[in-house]
Amino acid sequence: MTSMELSHRTITRMGLYRDLKIEGHDKDLLLALLRQMLRLRTTEVALVNEYHPADEMRCPIHFCIGQEAVPAALSMLVQREDLLFSHHRSHGYYFAKGAPMGELFAEIYGKETGANGGRAGSQDISNSEYGFYSGAILAGAVSIAVGAAFAFKHQHSARISISGFGEGATDEGAFWEAMNYAGKQQLPILFVIENNRYATFSDQLKRQASDNICERVTPFGVRATRIFGNDVVKVYDTLNTEIEALRQGRGPALVEAYTYRWNSHVGPEDDGVNNYRPMEEMAFWKDNCPIKLLETKLREAGYWTDRMRSLTDDEIRTEIEEHFRFAKQSPFPKNIDWQQANMAGSTPMADALLTETEGDVFDPDQAEARLGPY
Amino acid sequence: MPRQLSYANAILEATDQAMSLSSDVILLGQLVDTKAGIFGTTTGLVDKYGLERVQDFPVSENLMTATAMGASLAGLRPVIVHQRLDFMIYSLDAIVNWLSLWRFKSNGKSAMPVTIRTIVGKGWGQGPQHSKSLHSWFAHLPGLQVAMPSTAYDAKGLLLESIFGETPSIFVEGRGLYSMTDFVPEKPYRVRFGRAKVRKVGSDVTIVALGAMVPLALKAAAILERDGIQAEVIDPRTISPLDRPTINGSVYKTKRLVVADPAWRSFGAGSEIITSVVEAIGGRLVANPVRVTLPDSHTPMSSALEREYYPDETDLVNAVTLLMKQ
Repeated sequence: MTSMELSHRTITRMGLYRDLKIEGHDKDLLLALLRQMLRLRTTEVALVNEYHPADEMRCPIHFCIGQEAVPAALSMLVQREDLLFSHHRSHGYYFAKGAPMGELFAEIYGKETGANGGRAGSQDISNSEYGFYSGAILAGAVSIAVGAAFAFKHQHSARISISGFGEGATDEGAFWEAMNYAGKQQLPILFVIENNRYATFSDQLKRQASDNICERVTPFGVRATRIFGNDVVKVYDTLNTEIEALRQGRGPALVEAYTYRWNSHVGPEDDGVNNYRPMEEMAFWKDNCPIKLLETKLREAGYWTDRMRSLTDDEIRTEIEEHFRFAKQSPFPKNIDWQQANMAGSTPMADALLTETEGDVFDPDQAEARLGPY
Repeated sequence: MPRQLSYANAILEATDQAMSLSSDVILLGQLVDTKAGIFGTTTGLVDKYGLERVQDFPVSENLMTATAMGASLAGLRPVIVHQRLDFMIYSLDAIVNWLSLWRFKSNGKSAMPVTIRTIVGKGWGQGPQHSKSLHSWFAHLPGLQVAMPSTAYDAKGLLLESIFGETPSIFVEGRGLYSMTDFVPEKPYRVRFGRAKVRKVGSDVTIVALGAMVPLALKAAAILERDGIQAEVIDPRTISPLDRPTINGSVYKTKRLVVADPAWRSFGAGSEIITSVVEAIGGRLVANPVRVTLPDSHTPMSSALEREYYPDETDLVNAVTLLMKQ
């Protein structure tokens, strides 16, 4: 099927995906992609297992199990100085920017050692040292990402802005303002839609007249490609091409990757009671698990063995256990100065550039401005 | 005579000097690059600093705010302008859900030093969609500074302080103040947030006046003085942070409080100021505090109704006179 025919309506008809091609790709890159997906999957599963009944992580978590391919591919392509703005399903993007696992766990546990000292939690986490930001009000983050791209163009920088979001964000007007301006100004921004079909429980076609986001953004001057988002090699190649183009000043680009979340919208519980997606659909996407698809090819090529898998799993589990210990042993924040937490305590730039003066001698005996007709 | 500038020209000069002091300062807004230049407050800047730094923006108010915010993360110091505050409402998601809480939710590790200039129309039939002063909405949000300059002097100093400060600022301009002149020093100077100015010293009653109400309060105070009533006029200059100690100190002395707020009566900045005083030193008061505000109604177009709608110095004089008789 050609890319422009791809959609959630058609995708499940294809059965087992057979188009993942590793030929021409560096073995180390392929192994790194697999390892990044495994690390993300294992982390999410570990978080799911710890979430209940312990209830020590007391914040909403939107798990990204099943959606590992896009963040794993991005992790190979983004630079530390690029800025990445994620939606609320944030953990994959957090790792994509190389931010530390311990600070993520501690944040979710609400600890002072968390990336944001327990102020933000999973859906609002940021790590500015790594150029990573997130938030839960969908297209709001897309718009801010446009601002970062505006600055990079203004500064003639090779940095790029990456905005990761779901198809739900494209319901919002802010998204279309962003398309218009990014296209008009040719900004160095990559929009990555992880289209998982449902905004919470609502099918894209319940909300939109058509599911061809790519066709709709193209007239704005945004180069758009839709791909099967569980083929991590395809995702990598597509993002690689677009990011190269952006760094050479050919922006903006949008990549729509069709994928699927295995868990409920939020939390690990099954939300099937809402009866919004058929069992067969879930079965299709689990058969076409992004990890399984790549792993199969790597085994066939002799790049990957049971022993390698088991060693990798052990390594990742050890890392995860260490960071759980760190998070659980860390202290809770306390005695916040609420004023300081919200307002800057100093003004170094104003101190350096502005002088103190006195002498306002306002004479109140003046008429107000007479407005003209307009 | 010290150099006089109009309020509009003081805003222009502050922006010009900020852009000259730092190449990180950029100006975005609809028609900022035109000769009309937002009622003269941006005129000529595009000739001096170019289209890269003085940019017209699509009629996408939310995106404009978010663009400024994202750009600030990359090191710029954006100033954006809304021709009327009413248009700015499209950007409430950017302001409320992102800008105001950005510092907080990053645990102080990330900041968005953005300045949002917004103009409140008054008169010539501006009507209900060109005249709203929603400063109390923004002051209600933690994490934002809200300036309401009443004089050209303060307009320049507070705008420079906003641009080069680290907390995002909402800069509320009274369109009616644009032609009023004041002494404005040439050098780039600062007026700090949270520092009220005592514009007239008095001992009988404290009038706390905000923004466009300040000149009216001073006119009223002059009339009252002829009647033997010494009103102290306090201009908070910024309502977030609000200089509560200066206001409390004045009311402690005069034992009487009138608040003049160019906005609707209920749930507004005037209510906050009265509550704040009553909480601190309510026992000192010898009369019930009074608000002089717009009625709880949207703005009418007809000039006849505008005259009824907007309080003037006579309304303030009457309010104070009544209060003195309590």
